[in-house]
Amino acid sequence: MIPLSWYLIFAAGLFSLGLFGVLARRNAVAILLGVELMLNAVNINLAAFWRYGNVADMTGQVFAIIVFAVAAAEVAVGLALVISVYRSRNTVVADEIDMLKW
Amino acid sequence: MNFIYEHLLLVILFFPTLAALVMLFLPAGENKLLRWFAFGASLVPFILSVWLWTQFDPNVAGYQFEAQYPWYEALHSSLHLGVDGLSLTMVMLTTLLTPIALLASFSINDRVKAYMMLFLFLETGMLGVFMAVDLLIFFVFWEVGLVPMYFLINQWGSPKGEREVRSIFGKFTMSARNYASLKFMIYTMGGSLGLLLAVQMLGVLFGNYDLQYITANWSGYTKDLMGISVSTVKTVAFWAFVIAFAVKVPLWPFHTWLPDAHTEAPTAGSMILAGVLLKLGAYGFLRLVLPLYPAEAKYFAGALAFLATAAIVFGAFASFGQTDFKRLVAYSSVNHMGFVVLGIAAAASAVGTQDATIALNGAVLQMFNHGLSAAGMFFLVGVIYERTHTRNLDDFGGLFPLVPVYGGILIFTRMASLGLPGLNGFISEFLVVRGSLPLLPVYTAVSMLGLLMTGAYILKGIKQVLHGPLNEHWAHGEHKLTEINTREILVMAPLMILILVIGLWPAWILDVINKAMMMLF
Amino acid sequence: MTTETLIWLIPLPPALAFFLIVLFTNKNKALSHTVGVGAAVLSWLASMVVFFRALSVEHLGEHPFVSSVNWLPTGDTWFRIGVAIDPLGAAVLFFVSITIFMIFLYSVGYHNFGQPAGDHDRKGLPPHGATVTDEHGHQHVVPSVEPMYSRFFAFLGLFAFGMYTLVVSDNLLTLFVGWEIMGLCSYLLIGFWYGKPSARAAAIKAFMTTRIGDVFMLLGIGLLYSLTGTLNFREIFGNEELMHTLATPGTTLFGLSLAGLIALLLFIGTVGKSAQWPLHVWLPDAMEGPTPVSAMIHAATMVSAGVYAVIRMFPLLSLDHNTMTVVAFIGTFTAIFAATIAVAQNDIKRVLAYSTISQLGFMIAALGIGAYVAAAFHLVTHAFFKALLFLGSGSVIHGMEHGVLHTGNHSVDPQDMFNMGGLRKKMPITFWTFLIGGFALSGFPLLTAGFWSKDEILADAWANGHLAVFITLATAAFLTAFYTMRQITLTFLGEPRTKEAEHAQETPWTMTVPLMVLSVFAIGYGWVGIPEDFPLLGGLLPSWFHEFVGGTLAEHPEVIPFNPVPLTVSLVVALGGLLLGWLYYRNVNSAKEDFFQIPLLKNKYHFDEAYQVVFIGPVIWLSEVFTKWADQGVIDGILHFFGPATGGIGAFIRNKIDLPIINEFIGDGLAAVTQETGRTLRPIQTGRIQQYMMLSLVILAVVGALLYFMLGAGL
Repeated sequence: MIPLSWYLIFAAGLFSLGLFGVLARRNAVAILLGVELMLNAVNINLAAFWRYGNVADMTGQVFAIIVFAVAAAEVAVGLALVISVYRSRNTVVADEIDMLKW
Repeated sequence: MNFIYEHLLLVILFFPTLAALVMLFLPAGENKLLRWFAFGASLVPFILSVWLWTQFDPNVAGYQFEAQYPWYEALHSSLHLGVDGLSLTMVMLTTLLTPIALLASFSINDRVKAYMMLFLFLETGMLGVFMAVDLLIFFVFWEVGLVPMYFLINQWGSPKGEREVRSIFGKFTMSARNYASLKFMIYTMGGSLGLLLAVQMLGVLFGNYDLQYITANWSGYTKDLMGISVSTVKTVAFWAFVIAFAVKVPLWPFHTWLPDAHTEAPTAGSMILAGVLLKLGAYGFLRLVLPLYPAEAKYFAGALAFLATAAIVFGAFASFGQTDFKRLVAYSSVNHMGFVVLGIAAAASAVGTQDATIALNGAVLQMFNHGLSAAGMFFLVGVIYERTHTRNLDDFGGLFPLVPVYGGILIFTRMASLGLPGLNGFISEFLVVRGSLPLLPVYTAVSMLGLLMTGAYILKGIKQVLHGPLNEHWAHGEHKLTEINTREILVMAPLMILILVIGLWPAWILDVINKAMMMLF
Repeated sequence: MTTETLIWLIPLPPALAFFLIVLFTNKNKALSHTVGVGAAVLSWLASMVVFFRALSVEHLGEHPFVSSVNWLPTGDTWFRIGVAIDPLGAAVLFFVSITIFMIFLYSVGYHNFGQPAGDHDRKGLPPHGATVTDEHGHQHVVPSVEPMYSRFFAFLGLFAFGMYTLVVSDNLLTLFVGWEIMGLCSYLLIGFWYGKPSARAAAIKAFMTTRIGDVFMLLGIGLLYSLTGTLNFREIFGNEELMHTLATPGTTLFGLSLAGLIALLLFIGTVGKSAQWPLHVWLPDAMEGPTPVSAMIHAATMVSAGVYAVIRMFPLLSLDHNTMTVVAFIGTFTAIFAATIAVAQNDIKRVLAYSTISQLGFMIAALGIGAYVAAAFHLVTHAFFKALLFLGSGSVIHGMEHGVLHTGNHSVDPQDMFNMGGLRKKMPITFWTFLIGGFALSGFPLLTAGFWSKDEILADAWANGHLAVFITLATAAFLTAFYTMRQITLTFLGEPRTKEAEHAQETPWTMTVPLMVLSVFAIGYGWVGIPEDFPLLGGLLPSWFHEFVGGTLAEHPEVIPFNPVPLTVSLVVALGGLLLGWLYYRNVNSAKEDFFQIPLLKNKYHFDEAYQVVFIGPVIWLSEVFTKWADQGVIDGILHFFGPATGGIGAFIRNKIDLPIINEFIGDGLAAVTQETGRTLRPIQTGRIQQYMMLSLVILAVVGALLYFMLGAGL
């Protein structure tokens, strides 16, 4: 059986990819994609800990399913926002969307 | 019906407020609707108090229709209402005069809604004082009455007139109604400061504010308070009460707010001011000062009588010296209320004797009577002021042929105020004199001078307005004086009927007062 | 109907008439006077029934008609009011009801009922006459109807109500009620033509002068009530123990007993009401009113009321010798004092006014010397003949006004006797009745009522040894005869002195009938009081009056034995005065020739001016200067100190504490520091989401590292 640490390292890598995407990509859609990657990394962790922990306890799986739902909703809202921003400012570049500025 | 009967006082007390709140939702421009609504609403408490009068049993001692509602539990103060013969008479007077005053205000065209609402609030304030059996509630309503009156004078008072205020800091001018309303407010507030302190002291001392409880315990209270001997404390508290009420009555020399406020107030405002608000002071003497401080009241009866006599005499002289018709009537209130206090002072000097009871009967009846005749007089001054826009007596003259009905009513009301036998004023003044004479002979004899001058100023008013050569200015053209109209006669009619009925057959009201006075003191 | 019920009802018709006229019939003159006169008739009828029933009761004084009800609750007890008719009340009721009825009737004619409305008449002024065109096209000026005709009857009705109330009262308080209502009516009626400043002033003068008396009377009533616990006449006078306590001398001021003090206070009320010196000044001025009013005030009602009240209180009055002396002095002095003034007056009504004051003085003096019956008798006879004289003088004036309207010369005063003369031919009924009245006033022997009553007063004074009173009153009686004859001579005898007098006319029947009725009583009423032992005449008729009215008192007054001295004196003064008056004045044609136009007398001893300076001036000063100074100067001055002073304290706190320290240093300072900090840190806020995330990552890393090392270090 593959040891747990493999899954964890894999998840960490996936998380770092996502984080890099969020911080470095200029396109807002790409940032959203990064966020999804990070969420999925968490899901892997959850699934792995369930499998290696108490199998009878379904908490990890349930939690992962909630994360899926949240991610789906988040993407829907996020994309809608991006489209809305695009309509008003004609750009999806994150640097140019600085309405939060003082 | 049963509910109303059980909570009759509460309903009477707060119905005007409720009506005023309903008025908020009526359209502002519909003056006719607003007037009739307010008038109709004020009739309800009147009808209910007539019912109250019929249900009231004068032979039972203590408060009737008592009701207690939670109010300020942390302080052990509750909305405790009740009436005895004394407060019932005053409640009757208030609920009677308010519709009359509202009917008299139908000629107001400026911000009718606010005006009518203030009047209804005012009614609640006054009724509250008369119904309260809780010192804190008493004080609250005492102050509540001030606010609507302030705005009535300040906003709807006579628009003309400047008042020059001179003092050692130099002089400045302000509009007369502003000056008058301010003076009224500050004077009364200043007077009631001591009252508030004294009330709080009693509250702290006894842990609650219930008047019956405090009355039963306070006069026998002998422990020292805060290191001061109890007699000193009682004396100070006594004077705190007395000054608050003396300002309101008003007694000489606390009376100078009265001519200003009465003169500048709108007609209906003066009617209520003279008719009911002044009675609050006298009521305070009877309800609080005499029961709470019998010993002090007896000790200081002479001083009180001196002030009352001064009010009677100086009020009459001052009234005679006026050239402003309304001011003349205003000073006459000082004169007449002096008799109320004279009676109270006499009673204070010998509580429980027959003379004292007679003096108190006279004083309470005088309160009621003065309410009728003073309200009538202020209204009549208002009637002529509305038509001529002047109150200066020298501007009138010989108006009788132009306004015979008005003239007749004026003479009738003037005579009631003069104390003509056969009309109400005589009964009460006679009883006061009869009661006071054996107890305070010198003061009573001196006050006769005031009674004499009463005749002088009343005849002066009639002489300057109705009699003499006709002032042609009012006889023709645009200034032509018009006769008193039906609405105005309807305002006067109930007052005149009561004046005559009480004058001829006072027993129906005096019996209630008499029994109340017998049981109260 | 029982007599008691009837007595209750006597005052009601006039009161109802007042309300009916005021509220309903005031537009209709005929209806108004019908109501008024009808009410007077009803009251008169009721009074007559009561009077004759009273006559038929034996010992009415001990068992009068009484009835009372609870009126005012006074503690445990009630104050009761009620009616009572005892002999005195019945006698007074008799003359009051007749004179009131006559005056009502007379007023119809006096106010020109049936005449056209005036050309320029205005309410509040006497009518000036109306121009009418007869069938031949000639224009005449005729008297015009009074514009306030209805109102006059209303006032008269109220007045009558007051008087009846006063007479039928069984207690002092309702007596006072009637008394004051009459005071009001006299004010309204004297000022009836209120448009005239003189009438207005006279009305106020009358009211105020009598009110001075009234407030003393009120004190007296209050004192009596508090001492005795009742105001009922019979209860007070019938309680011997109480009367004895009251009579204890020296218990109050000036050594007076309580009874004396009370009686004195009550008497001051009478001094005002009955116009005795020194409160007599209002009555002559009261002549400003229409003539029926003068008759009403002077004869039938008001001034009689004053005397009636003293007669009523006589049992109390007689307890204190000192008070009696005061009363006797005031009465006697007034009698002579007013008589001297009357001699110098030219106005026909003013002469009568002073004559009234003088005659009332006779009555008061009679009471002061204890002549109870004589005072009551003179009160009754005087009421009849003085009403007759006033109504007669009104008739004369009315006739003269007719002449004035005829000639159109309004500068002629129709009341000035020197403008008259020779009226006996023009106005025969008026003349003969006036003559009867005048002779009665003078005390023309045997025939007239005035002789018998005045003679009795003089006889009493003589018999009781009051010599000074006797002499003074005799002199006054002489003057009375003298000025009466002066009046008759100047008015009716000789030839007309002016055109107006030539065109004077007899007045209508409504005016002359009352004159004739009253002259019957002016003669006949004296015969009921002829002393039993009077030479020749005594015993022909029973001395009913003395017997009847004397029965009012618990101790019947003694009948004075006949004495020729006072009889002779009264014969001499009456006849002598009349004769001298006629002899002198038949030759006098103008005021200049009249010896008695002495300035001091003509100016009434300057009492009006003196009162103006001594009383009215200071009162006005006190009212206008003193109170203004006290209220607006002193009291408001103090208040105005507080106002600005409070304002000053407020300004100080604001300008010196609030603004610099709290606002600028603490408040604004804190705000400035915060603001500057914020401004400095502002660039951090770039608005770029990735920078924020970067930053938060860094901070997370730093915090994480710190936590790791610190926790790891075991801290």
